[in-house]
Amino acid sequence: MEKTNLHTDSETFLAQWLAGELTDKELKDLVSEADYVAFLKLKKGLDISEQLNASTDDSFAKIQNRISRKTTKVRPLNTRWAIGIAASIIVLLGVFSFLNTSEINVVTGYGEQKTIALLDGTEVILNANSRLIYDEDNWDNERKLSLEGEAYFKVTKGETFVVETEHGSVTVLGTQFNVNAAKNYFDVVCYEGKVGVKTYDSEHILLPEDGVRKVDGYHVEHPAITDKMPTWIHGESTFKSVPLYQVIKALEDQYQIRFDTDYINRTEIFTGSFPHDSLDIALKTVFQTLNISYNEKEKRNIKLRYKE
Amino acid sequence: MSSENRNICNSKTFEYIYNTYAKDIRRFLFFKTQDINKAEDLMQDVFIKLWDNCGKVDYDKVKSYMFSIANNMFLNLVKHEKVVHEYSKISKKGTTNESPEFIMLENEFMEKLERTMTNLPEKQREVFLLNRIEKKKYKEIAEQLGISVKAVEKRMHQALVTLRKEIGNI
Repeated sequence: MEKTNLHTDSETFLAQWLAGELTDKELKDLVSEADYVAFLKLKKGLDISEQLNASTDDSFAKIQNRISRKTTKVRPLNTRWAIGIAASIIVLLGVFSFLNTSEINVVTGYGEQKTIALLDGTEVILNANSRLIYDEDNWDNERKLSLEGEAYFKVTKGETFVVETEHGSVTVLGTQFNVNAAKNYFDVVCYEGKVGVKTYDSEHILLPEDGVRKVDGYHVEHPAITDKMPTWIHGESTFKSVPLYQVIKALEDQYQIRFDTDYINRTEIFTGSFPHDSLDIALKTVFQTLNISYNEKEKRNIKLRYKE
Repeated sequence: MSSENRNICNSKTFEYIYNTYAKDIRRFLFFKTQDINKAEDLMQDVFIKLWDNCGKVDYDKVKSYMFSIANNMFLNLVKHEKVVHEYSKISKKGTTNESPEFIMLENEFMEKLERTMTNLPEKQREVFLLNRIEKKKYKEIAEQLGISVKAVEKRMHQALVTLRKEIGNI
């Protein structure tokens, strides 16, 4: 083979080849077989690397386009089809309502507590105004439930047990723990065994008498735990260094009342407890120490004000 | 984060998931298919499928869900292509081991290439990136840097030699 290519320079020919000024065939004559294959692969790799890292924004527009086309495509059906489809949907819905009865939804009202025994022997005590949802059919595969509000769990040993809440998830093997997942408040306490807590910004492993608490999305130090079980189970709600609005919410949940809190500092920190069987005593124990007066203006609507 | 943000059927959440994973999935599919266009198409299919099932997929498992969908789609494609090949007897004599479309690009190769590229000696890297990323011609680079075209070509040549050396024979 002749090597008469005068404008190839031994110091630049690779650059020329990459720019397309030199063909693959011309390169092949300039380098060894192994180098030739390696350079071809390099060039392809460089091109692909660029495409792999290219923006995906255009594709997202295409996806949105396809999704919207999908939904509009259904419209131009003629009525006979539409009736047929509607009829089969009704039949299917009927079938599903029979098949899909496995999701269990347990709700407690004001002042109500419920004890739930799950299939594996796990015991859950659901505090007032809370909700627990789980899939009974799938329980054998996955011990998972979702919680709004507060509950105490006594989990039978076995596969991982997961409680999902608005604030994150709590994972355990077999243990006793309490979860309180209210709107701006999240509190998990471990009473026995080991509990894993995963919020959107942190992960914790809790041992007995450990707790984790988030208020308004911020982590706060958990006060020491001295009880063997949450006290609310025995008819008394106990609070340690908790913002007042959380105590007020617990009172509302327990006694089905509303508080007007416009005139008090809702974020004041409260430590103490109230009983579940007497509103009078409950109001007295919570608000007397804070020097707050409570007046039942209308029925079940209580106005809070600082005493003069 | 509110529960609405974790609902995949929420279009903002869907877009967020797309922006987080689209490139990874396209890349994953490229290494499977060795074809960037197929990878791109399948990646879009994966997200359409995620949207169709948005109510059923757990936010915490969305990544592994999408990768297994991607893998299944790749397997279906292979199955389909096998059938197509059996019926169309197109002989592929035009391709040999040396033709570019036959070169396999493995994940390890690409990672090494991309790593080596960013670790090129400063002068080589500058020229190399201007050419490959900003798509500038050698002449334009020469003008920008105030050096001769020949010097640019030398640096490009050197960059390729470096890459070849660093990456070895994989």
